[in-house]
Amino acid sequence: MGLTSGFFMGLMIAVAVGSAAATVWLWPRFASQRAGMVAARFGLIAAGQLLLLAAVLVFLNGVFGFFGSWSAVFGSGGPVAAAQPIVVTGSDLGPVPGGSALPETANGRQAAKPPGAAQSVGKILQVTVSGGHTGIVSAGNYVYLPPQYFQPAYAHVRFPVVLALTGYPNASWSIVRWLRLPATAASLVASGKIRPAVYVMMNVSVALPRDTECTNVPAGPQAETFLAQDVPQAVDRTFRVQTGSAGWAVLGYSTGGYCAAKLAMMNPYQFPAAVSLAGYYAAGPDFITGNLYGGSTAFQNENDLDWRLAHLPAPPVSVLVTSSRVGESDLADTLTFLHLIHPPMRGYSLILAQGGHNYGTWVRQLPQSLEWLNQRLTPAVPQAQPTPAHPR
Amino acid sequence: MGLTSPALVVVLAVVAAAALAAILRYWPRLAGRGVMPVLLRIAALGLVQLSVLGLIFVIVNNAAGFYSSWPDLFGSQSGGGAIIAGNDHTRQNAGITEAAAPVTVLASSPIAVPGRPGEPGGQLQAVRLYGRLSGLSVPGYIYLPSGYGARVATAPLPVAVVISGQLDSPGDPYSAGRLAATAARQIASRNLGPLIVVMLPATVGQHDQGCLNVPGGTQAALFFTEDLPQAIDSAYRTVPPADRRWTLIADPAGGYCALQLAMTSSETFAAAAMPPGGYTAPPGPAESGGSPLIRTQDDLSWLLGHQPMQPISVLFTGTGRGQPFLSQARPPMRVGQIGLSSGEWQLASVFDWAGTTLHQTLASRS
Repeated sequence: MGLTSGFFMGLMIAVAVGSAAATVWLWPRFASQRAGMVAARFGLIAAGQLLLLAAVLVFLNGVFGFFGSWSAVFGSGGPVAAAQPIVVTGSDLGPVPGGSALPETANGRQAAKPPGAAQSVGKILQVTVSGGHTGIVSAGNYVYLPPQYFQPAYAHVRFPVVLALTGYPNASWSIVRWLRLPATAASLVASGKIRPAVYVMMNVSVALPRDTECTNVPAGPQAETFLAQDVPQAVDRTFRVQTGSAGWAVLGYSTGGYCAAKLAMMNPYQFPAAVSLAGYYAAGPDFITGNLYGGSTAFQNENDLDWRLAHLPAPPVSVLVTSSRVGESDLADTLTFLHLIHPPMRGYSLILAQGGHNYGTWVRQLPQSLEWLNQRLTPAVPQAQPTPAHPR
Repeated sequence: MGLTSPALVVVLAVVAAAALAAILRYWPRLAGRGVMPVLLRIAALGLVQLSVLGLIFVIVNNAAGFYSSWPDLFGSQSGGGAIIAGNDHTRQNAGITEAAAPVTVLASSPIAVPGRPGEPGGQLQAVRLYGRLSGLSVPGYIYLPSGYGARVATAPLPVAVVISGQLDSPGDPYSAGRLAATAARQIASRNLGPLIVVMLPATVGQHDQGCLNVPGGTQAALFFTEDLPQAIDSAYRTVPPADRRWTLIADPAGGYCALQLAMTSSETFAAAAMPPGGYTAPPGPAESGGSPLIRTQDDLSWLLGHQPMQPISVLFTGTGRGQPFLSQARPPMRVGQIGLSSGEWQLASVFDWAGTTLHQTLASRS
């Protein structure tokens, strides 16, 4: 029974409602004023409250996609490494929410695909990525291939890539559904504001439920190497994408924002540009990260972006950080980070007047962020098509 | 009342507590039969549950800072901002010296092909490499094969990196001069394709431990995996990064360094040749940032058993035990061993192997 399945959500809601109904039904039996009865009433109410809370949590999890499956909650039965670095596990994923540039019928289903639909709307693939270097396997991630990827003029052209990272805990579909990344990119391309790119949308945690914070955990999951080397290599071997600097960039929100900035600063030749939406600048360790730094303060320092800027040469990267003057607790840290940046590193900021730590804020920041990112990517240049001969 | 105001927490807490107390106290009054008492029960229960739920939501939201206001919660927040180039100008101009060039050639001398007087065998450059990311400045030598400067339009060259503690000990097989002469000899006899040989000392920084990143200290791994390829590619005509598969050759002092780099950065280093050994710990005092787990990870035999087999070729050179690598390596990792020939050109066969491995790798990728 899937954690996010409609059946499970419905069951939880039914149990909570059933508990409330039973309380109302059995009410008269607990109506005496003896101490034991009062305690029993309290027990009834508390049980109903817990069941309601559980139903609400399961419902919110289904809506926002914090944990995509039971194994993400309990860490059991992770995906198995495949021979191919990228295995496509789904390609007909229904409508893309918020995607006006993508066809959708009245009942919310994706319109029946005419042949060659990918040429006009592109494609979103669900993929499992297996890391050759690290052995890490990450399932339930998504790749958005823009319509141009399928058009003849681009048939031999390699596309730039944006690696997009979720927050924690989060399922990768949230980038499609709530951040609306493919839909926003599609409409910006359609209006000529950015050029097409491939978007690889990954879960920032490589070992859910553990919060790995894109760290090469000593004697543990090598999360940084997975995202900075294995993923680019896997994408390079599977899709028509650019390699090397100026062909890749990284973007993320919350934990993904910290990771985007960190991955770029540690791997500037792989990710010369990064966007950190409401990211932070140092992480854990705490009870959800586990022993992230092997107990070494010195190694923890190396994963503190401010420490890196103060103690190591600045890397040749551009980083855009976002925050809000009201509603975002990381504003002061963001300004500190910006102040520490010095050449050859370049810092940029997008600070809203108001906006909390939520998708509504990031959706407002995304179009400008994508335009900024796009200026730093080598574009895919279409090839001239031979003019078709005139029919006689 | 603001979504994040303390007053809202207080109001919800008071409502929840009062509702709970009232429902427990006045329970019997709602116990009657009929539609009205049942409706009242539902209303009372609903009030308690929703106020508690609301209280939990507001407390969690305040702690985590998800929604900063009612419009934020209901998605009616609007308004954008401008992207500002955020560098602080005072800092940008103060105290920033011009970064050193990644490769500075200090001196250059021609290399003759041994045994063939007059035949040019390339040149040996004494260089200083500067790592932009690690900040390390490392002295070294670079051998360029015969005709490197002349053939402008020929194919880019593969690269071998020698890590040696004997670069400046003339006569040693791992000295810069002898290494360059060995390469020139093997190229001239067509046992080795033309290649660039980068020669670096076994210690590249103050606290270098076998080319590892010392936590909070010398970032030697960063130098070898990021700075070095960038520096060499920027100054010499090398195989482009997408096809970059370098070979490492090490003497006893650099053996751990070479094997460690190949096992952790196979994307850059596809092959490594070094004297056989167990390589359970880096050379020198163990500086693992106070972490026993980092020390565990620095044991290359532990790494062999705990990470996937890397796509690398390892060659143990000379006599000695190469365990557990010889017996435990599985494809795509390959491990072999050869004896060193006696006489002046001990490393001839190692260079030949490096060349074969480099060209095989290139051929398999094209």
